[in-house]
Amino acid sequence: MLVTGGGSGMGLAMAKAFAQGGARVAVMGRSIERAEEGAAQIAALGARTHAMSCDVRSPEAVAQAFDEAEAVLGPVSLLANNAGANFPVLAENISPNAWAAVTRIAIDGTFLCSAEFARRRIARGEGGAIVNNSAQYIWTGFPGDAHSAAAKTAQATMTRKLAADWAPHGIRVNAVAAGFFPHADSVSGRRDDGIEPLQAMIPAGRTGSIWEFGWLSAMTCTPLFDDMTGQVIVQDGGESLRRSLMMPDFVPPRERVDGPWGWQ
Amino acid sequence: MGLAMTGWLAGKHIWIEGSSPAIAAACRAAGATLTSDGDLDVWVHVVAVGAAKPAHEIAHAEWRASLGAGLDRRFLGAKSFADACRARGVGGAVLFVGAPEQALGADQAAAAGALGNLTKTLGVEWARDGIRVNCILTREDGATLGNLAAYLASDYAAYVTGAVIGIALDD
Repeated sequence: MLVTGGGSGMGLAMAKAFAQGGARVAVMGRSIERAEEGAAQIAALGARTHAMSCDVRSPEAVAQAFDEAEAVLGPVSLLANNAGANFPVLAENISPNAWAAVTRIAIDGTFLCSAEFARRRIARGEGGAIVNNSAQYIWTGFPGDAHSAAAKTAQATMTRKLAADWAPHGIRVNAVAAGFFPHADSVSGRRDDGIEPLQAMIPAGRTGSIWEFGWLSAMTCTPLFDDMTGQVIVQDGGESLRRSLMMPDFVPPRERVDGPWGWQ
Repeated sequence: MGLAMTGWLAGKHIWIEGSSPAIAAACRAAGATLTSDGDLDVWVHVVAVGAAKPAHEIAHAEWRASLGAGLDRRFLGAKSFADACRARGVGGAVLFVGAPEQALGADQAAAAGALGNLTKTLGVEWARDGIRVNCILTREDGATLGNLAAYLASDYAAYVTGAVIGIALDD
């Protein structure tokens, strides 16, 4: 299998879950150093692995990376699209470059990697499975993070269409709409005062454990879920759901003293 | 990847109300005890995918029966299950299983839509009781349905609540 952005964070959690299930794991990252760090952790689980550098916004680079992965590990039959970037910023302060970076890594990257994967599976006459890392805020908007609000929703909506396009070829496509899964490289994992304030705001009473996300992502690609395709599964401890009819007073994001996300 | 859910539901007592051979088989294979008696850890309520009629041909009694099974019994059953969990001081999981909103007639459209938003609402109301509430709306009745239900009943899905999930493309 191949995971994009697999060197750290949620991508690494996906990669580890696939490795636990017995897969050979190609770890793709912008930075080869980070991909190699992730691959070392996967190798420690006893799985065959290979680290690669790739900019998922370039179709040529994506094709080359698939060539490299298949040369080392054999045909790629499962794909996890995780590559993405995200940071709190007011919409009026998002530069064209920042907008392009966040949206194109997630939107173009997911499309290009998925299409490359599908062309190879169709050419071989074999099916496969794709899982996309989407987010719980795709149904509500995400004030303070407009670029990611757009990008993550595009991943979820293309999931359904890619699934329809490739169902005749036996390629399944699903997504996990993930809530807060703090890790060393996430904004929420880097807070000075820890994750306790996040725990309190979530109906389940805690943030998610990163391996819970990895397990569900990998499960959607296994024969256990052989008939599932085109689905977006929310895994967020109830975080995206409304708490009450009455809401706290509205504070425009630019007036929040603790930053665009409201706590940062 | 060869995976089995061996032991995922070990020690759990699950009542599957309504019939789903696939869910029963998957829960048993994962180690659950299926029973409608005594202390329950999981309540699964299944309404089989039935026939559809044009709205103008649905008699009120038929409409009521559909809403009764597809919505009322589900709410009242979940309420009883959650009451029992709280009385015992334990968490639990509720899983509603039925047809997609637009799969059948207007009765199903009403019941499934209501059920979906009820799932989200109860998931939040009972979250701090450790009671999760999820819903599968699908036409599928095979192994994937069973495995998905077993996953949602298990502690591996501890961070999944208020989710409405399909299986097939047109679910």
